[in-house]
Amino acid sequence: MAKIPVAMVVNGEKVGPLEVEEYTSMLDFLQEYLNLTGTKLGCGIGVCRSCTILVEREDGSLEPVRSCINNVGRFNGRTVTTVEGQAEYNSEGDIVALSPIQQAFLRNFSFQCGWCTPGFVNAATALIDHLRREPVPADTIEAVIDEALGEHICRCTGYVRYYRAVREVIESTPGLLKEAD
Amino acid sequence: MGKVAFVFFFLVIGGNVAAQPTHAQASAKQSPVEKGRYLAAAGDCVACHTATNGRPFIGGRPFHTPFGILYSTNITPDKKTGIGNYTLEDFTAAMRRGKGAHGNLYPAMPYTSYYLIPDEDIASLYAYFMQLPPVEYVAPDNDLFFPANLRFGLSVWNRIFFDKAPLSQPADKSPDWQRGNYLVNALGHCGECHTPRNFAFAMKNDEKFSGNILEGWDAVDIRPAALRRQGWDRERLRLLFTTGASEHGTAFGEMFSVVKYSLRHLSDNDINAIITYLLDDSEKMAGNAGNPQAAEKRYTQGRADFVAYCAACHGREGRGVTLSFAPPMDRNAAVRGDNPYNTIAVILRGLAAQRMDRTNARAGMPGFHRELDDVRVADLVNYMRTAWGGAENPVTVEDVAEIRRQLREHGYLGAVE
Ligand code: FES
Ligand code: FES
Repeated sequence: MAKIPVAMVVNGEKVGPLEVEEYTSMLDFLQEYLNLTGTKLGCGIGVCRSCTILVEREDGSLEPVRSCINNVGRFNGRTVTTVEGQAEYNSEGDIVALSPIQQAFLRNFSFQCGWCTPGFVNAATALIDHLRREPVPADTIEAVIDEALGEHICRCTGYVRYYRAVREVIESTPGLLKEAD
Repeated sequence: MGKVAFVFFFLVIGGNVAAQPTHAQASAKQSPVEKGRYLAAAGDCVACHTATNGRPFIGGRPFHTPFGILYSTNITPDKKTGIGNYTLEDFTAAMRRGKGAHGNLYPAMPYTSYYLIPDEDIASLYAYFMQLPPVEYVAPDNDLFFPANLRFGLSVWNRIFFDKAPLSQPADKSPDWQRGNYLVNALGHCGECHTPRNFAFAMKNDEKFSGNILEGWDAVDIRPAALRRQGWDRERLRLLFTTGASEHGTAFGEMFSVVKYSLRHLSDNDINAIITYLLDDSEKMAGNAGNPQAAEKRYTQGRADFVAYCAACHGREGRGVTLSFAPPMDRNAAVRGDNPYNTIAVILRGLAAQRMDRTNARAGMPGFHRELDDVRVADLVNYMRTAWGGAENPVTVEDVAEIRRQLREHGYLGAVE
């Protein structure tokens, strides 16, 4: 089986070059090679989005990508963030602060089993990043959240608390909403 | 005149063929309303006369034409806003000649095909539409540029471009073929998308069914030889028409809605008739086949990108994973087609998710226009077409750039990520 050299930056750390079987999915690469098991396999066919991770575009903006339907080669040379990279860590590797989105999900009790949560965390983080670059009018929040998270499936608690949490973060973070004219 | 009358007579006979017991859907026991319901499905009226998530038949769906935006109209029998005041004669005039109550209809209404529908079928359609629940709704105003915004220009258009040639039904063709001819050309109005149009948006009938770029997709060449080259045969077409998907390709864009609202509701006999007509007397053949080894050697970046971007869904060496997930590429009709347009356009813009019914849906495909530049897309497409499509001519970087430019200009990039 053909192997390809793989190197990228994952959660701020350089990884590789590693020789990886070319058909390895990004999800398997994260779990089997890097021991990053936070990214979850739900459907495996690109529908549920529990496996969503973030990839940095050239302009530094964040793009949510499903890791189950993309093989590792797509991420070669790229900068990637998984759910493990969202919180702040100290030099000992202990978490010192969760990200605002993570905190809001906890506060709102947005999830139950948590299987879908890594995907929601990453997609919501990308949304916040996007709004920082392109603020939207306050009366479109619901539609904007729905567009960013509407395809994510949660089988436990439903979506209301996820949406509420994201709305809280958007409303309490300066600069994400356009002033009404 | 005698000829026209003869052909018309023939058409009615043709219609009667459907009334024979072999064509169950049009059996003599059917009431005009039931028959009309069936014919309305065959004519796919609902697809155009319904807006996204709108009520069926009330119109309001926008059509982006080179002359501006047109909206489909309300065809429920509401007296104020629909066709409630239409007599059978008015209805016939609208269907066959594009004559609406307030002037000529724009030829987005396929009267340029529907004129071939015989009286009996028109009457059934009328009976069906008039018993629908009336809904009061007015579609937005059309937004057309001069001179297309002047409806009286349409009578000139009709005089020049509306060629009312009768449907020719060669006597040496089987009743099945003739029924297919009628369904494809008249009710199904397949030519409206699959036939190229001239500067005035009229179908070029001498290039009938040779394919046409529409809404950023290639409505493919559906002439027998082209279908065969792409590997289509009776069974594969039957699967495509009745389920929207086959190992040889899936229906997407407007064709998905044709399958969803029209084709899959037709009787087995009518589907067979359509296939008989489309494949004509062409011989079965294996279809274009490629050379994976040569492709891998020649297009290394293309192959690497296929493995990285495509293979997780479309399978190792393009062999597919499972059809309900994504079709294989190693026998895909778009890859095998002469025109690379759809292969390029799908990679750039992606495909929308599809829902056929409650239990049958398909996830969309992401578009890669941001990540893959023209050079990489060209290499990827060349790899696929060489490996599995038997393409003679490589796609150039300029080809990709031009398609990308067109898609961007019309806002088709970035719709599916
Ligand atoms: S596991 Fe990737 S989308 Fe469901
Ligand atoms: S919390 Fe269980 S699937 Fe969402």
